[in-house]
Amino acid sequence: MSETFKLPPLDIEEYRLENGLRVVLNPDHTIPVVSIAVYYDVGSRNEREGRTGFAHLFEHMMFQGSANVPKAGHFQHIMKAGGTMNGTTSSERTNYYETLPADQLPLALWLESDRMLSLAVTQENLDNQREAVKEEKRLRYDNQPYGQIFDLINEMIYTNFANAHSTIGSMEHLDDATVEDVREFFRVYYAPNNAVLVLSGAFESETAKDLIETYFGDIPSQPTPPALDVAEPLDVASTYKEWEDKLAPFPAFLIGWKIPPRRSPEFHALYLAGKILYDGDSSRLYQKLVKGEESVIQLFGFTDERRGPSSIFIGAIPKPEKDLSKIRETIMGEIRDLAVHGPKTEEMEKIENGLVNDAVRMRQSSMSRAQQIAEFALYDGDPRLVNTELDELLAVTADQIRNAVGKYLNTENRALLDVVTVGKG
Amino acid sequence: MTPELRKLPPQALDPVSFDIAKPTETTLENGLRVIVFENERIPLVSFRLAFLSGDIHDPAGARGLTSAVAAMISEGTEDYTSRQLAEKIERLGASISSSASDDFTIVAASSLSLYSSEILDLLAEVVLGPTFPENELDLYRRNTVEHLKFQRSQPGFLAAEQAARLVYGHHAYSTVAPKAADIEKLDRETLRNLHRERFIPNNAILIVVGDVRSDDLIAEVREHFSDWQPGDPAAGEFTAPPKRDARSVTIVDRPGSAQANIVLTNLAVKRTDPDYFSLLVMNQVLGAGASSRVFMNLREEKGYTYGAYTRLGTKRLAGDFEATAEVRTAVTGDSLREFFYELARIRDENVGDEELRDAKNFLTGVFPLRAETQEGLTNLIVNQYLYGLPDDYLQTYRNQVNAVGAEDVQRVALKHVRPDEMALVIVGDAEEVMPQVHEYADSVEVYNTDGVRQDEAKYTVAATAETAEVAGKWSLVIDFQGQQLPVSLNLEQSADTVTGVLETMLGNGEIADGKVSGNRLSANAKAEMQGQGIEFAIAGKIDGNAMSGTITAPIVPEPLPFTGSRS
Repeated sequence: MSETFKLPPLDIEEYRLENGLRVVLNPDHTIPVVSIAVYYDVGSRNEREGRTGFAHLFEHMMFQGSANVPKAGHFQHIMKAGGTMNGTTSSERTNYYETLPADQLPLALWLESDRMLSLAVTQENLDNQREAVKEEKRLRYDNQPYGQIFDLINEMIYTNFANAHSTIGSMEHLDDATVEDVREFFRVYYAPNNAVLVLSGAFESETAKDLIETYFGDIPSQPTPPALDVAEPLDVASTYKEWEDKLAPFPAFLIGWKIPPRRSPEFHALYLAGKILYDGDSSRLYQKLVKGEESVIQLFGFTDERRGPSSIFIGAIPKPEKDLSKIRETIMGEIRDLAVHGPKTEEMEKIENGLVNDAVRMRQSSMSRAQQIAEFALYDGDPRLVNTELDELLAVTADQIRNAVGKYLNTENRALLDVVTVGKG
Repeated sequence: MTPELRKLPPQALDPVSFDIAKPTETTLENGLRVIVFENERIPLVSFRLAFLSGDIHDPAGARGLTSAVAAMISEGTEDYTSRQLAEKIERLGASISSSASDDFTIVAASSLSLYSSEILDLLAEVVLGPTFPENELDLYRRNTVEHLKFQRSQPGFLAAEQAARLVYGHHAYSTVAPKAADIEKLDRETLRNLHRERFIPNNAILIVVGDVRSDDLIAEVREHFSDWQPGDPAAGEFTAPPKRDARSVTIVDRPGSAQANIVLTNLAVKRTDPDYFSLLVMNQVLGAGASSRVFMNLREEKGYTYGAYTRLGTKRLAGDFEATAEVRTAVTGDSLREFFYELARIRDENVGDEELRDAKNFLTGVFPLRAETQEGLTNLIVNQYLYGLPDDYLQTYRNQVNAVGAEDVQRVALKHVRPDEMALVIVGDAEEVMPQVHEYADSVEVYNTDGVRQDEAKYTVAATAETAEVAGKWSLVIDFQGQQLPVSLNLEQSADTVTGVLETMLGNGEIADGKVSGNRLSANAKAEMQGQGIEFAIAGKIDGNAMSGTITAPIVPEPLPFTGSRS
């Protein structure tokens, strides 16, 4: 079916302002809505030792007001215009985005440019956002059952500090931060030449270009941020750890493998192998563990895409009294089968249709288009990859999947995190 | 750009019109209405086969039956097992799901438009030929009974259960979930009967949105559904909801609850009421969003809660208005005071121009955002047809919102927001909540989490007792996950107001909002601990020179018990 189905390419125009800001326009007039995404090339991987959690702290600071926008004003302006907005931080980047009725494009550009130009980095804002981050850490990590397992397993997989440390970071490091540290971080990483601006939706390109020049043109560029080394040895840093989770109602486990970077042929093949193993009610592990053996309450798996060495995870929360090692044997058994026999024809068919379906659905909303375009622009320097990504994935063969699973998953080179409940360790 | 120009938010560009075309409608001989909305924009198709009967149409004594039928139709048919259906659907990259609500039962299917015929075929398969296999029904019964049990641990569910009972009385809307016993007695035959009686073409609307050709599609629909036999779509008879003439308080006792879930509610309007758009704007000003009045007051200004909202529940036959928040137990009474302040203000004062404009801008602005995806657009169209809204409903939506004036907002607030006859439902620790609610209603009733009425006297003795003397130095021990942590309270008292200091090993905090009511002490203490500001809520019971109770802090999930004495 891949031969019969061609997605119409998205209309992409890219250019650079004199100050180095990379701009990508994706006009699409079908719905009078516009989305704006600003991606800064800074994530937790850029943090130095002793300064972890900065990238995420900064995401909070970006909502604390700038020269012409009061504290929390960003949110109120967007809400009152009927829009939605947010910001997120990962190892790779920090992003900020808005979706608005099409006529409100100037509002979004004004808000985004004002904070890029004149963020209010004050002692007061720093103090209260530090507290907000601590509260967030307590709520989302420390006080959630299984809340810390992904941070823990990353430390087991990666050797390089840039890759291994968590995005939420260390609260002691945040306490050590001075206003000068934060100002310096802003100057270096929140510069126009370190960012990508993407517009997707209903706008006239000429109008948009004029507005972008007006709002962003006079923001000064800065020296290029320090170079970064994310190289890793092939072996995981450690293969086993037991972790007592005070809040967990049931024992659980998480297995993680270190795999090649995003968009490499092996990464693509392993991403698809993951779909065969754990995606949907007809996947191999769902049918084996949830339906057949009825041994797990919850089964999950996903790939963590990074520009450098990446990872893939499979985890399960077994039903009470079930043998965890037997469940892991089932998982490794299916991986071995995939490494020896490769995917079945009907699995390849399911993958193809699933990929096309996902790609089509992604393109419906201006926000998901803007985000995907921004990633390709920032990570690969080529926003047009949004138009060829699907073909690259559809071109992956059953043999490639079999070989990649054999080389990267069917191996002892993996990290196993055993989560035990209190009193049963 | 000059610094001067940056000072003010920019003007918007020219507004862009948003035109939604009108779908075409055909009715088959057996009464099935087919609505097709051709939309070439995206190569997808969405089907919704909707039945105009839902949970409220469950036969007497068979609560939960409609939902069971909805959940079970894709768990096996004459031709396929549950697993085969899952594989066939996923192999297309498609999805099928079904569920029942109060008024409707909806089977939803979507796929690439390329597979429109295949997914329609599977949709017909599950709607026309489910067999309700015994083993799958057994799994459904077990999972549902577990789920019902789990729901009773959720304060939101307990609040909704009481609110529906109080507002809807003997109307079928008053039941929000079946009982475990209802589910346990479901059998194959009952499911088959309901399926035969209610899943009939003259009780259904098929809505199709996507990249399809209307003529071709209707021909396929005829092929699949022409032989489907019509029946008698019983409308159902419903008792009118009661007319309330006074405020009441209902507490669901959840001992040790860290928070109180508050719901204030009264009967309002059904979905097709002519006041709908005025109510929508009124509700936006009052409490629908994070820049609405109750949120700005209870969260931003007072810090009682992470969120406080108002909501319109407009169903097909009736509807309700609700104000809700989850607050720290110690500020339950304060939160009620602020809610009633805001409810009175929206009734007594004309809404200002700017506030009215912001509310209308939000509602008209967010409307096209909802239609960006095919699922979103389909939901808009489905609502229009299921509730029987006017043909030009979506086309005139934004004009209708813009036509609402300040006087309309006040008129509908006076009519449909009625603080003097509201039912107040509070899920929380009844002993803590009781003394805080007496001033808001004459009658207070208490239920347990199983929905069984309790003797109110059990909870009121303490509250009506003589005001205890709490002044002095108290040495207390907190039990923190098995560890004994000593703290002390240095209290001064003036009538029922308490001030003082909470002393801990890690730092001290000043007492705020301290009150004694009967033998109950409630107070907040804001402490600096290792550089962090932490707010504690203290709830104590005084017995001579002994005190016991709980301390709640945002960093621990459950209240920590303490005991101690006065030196």
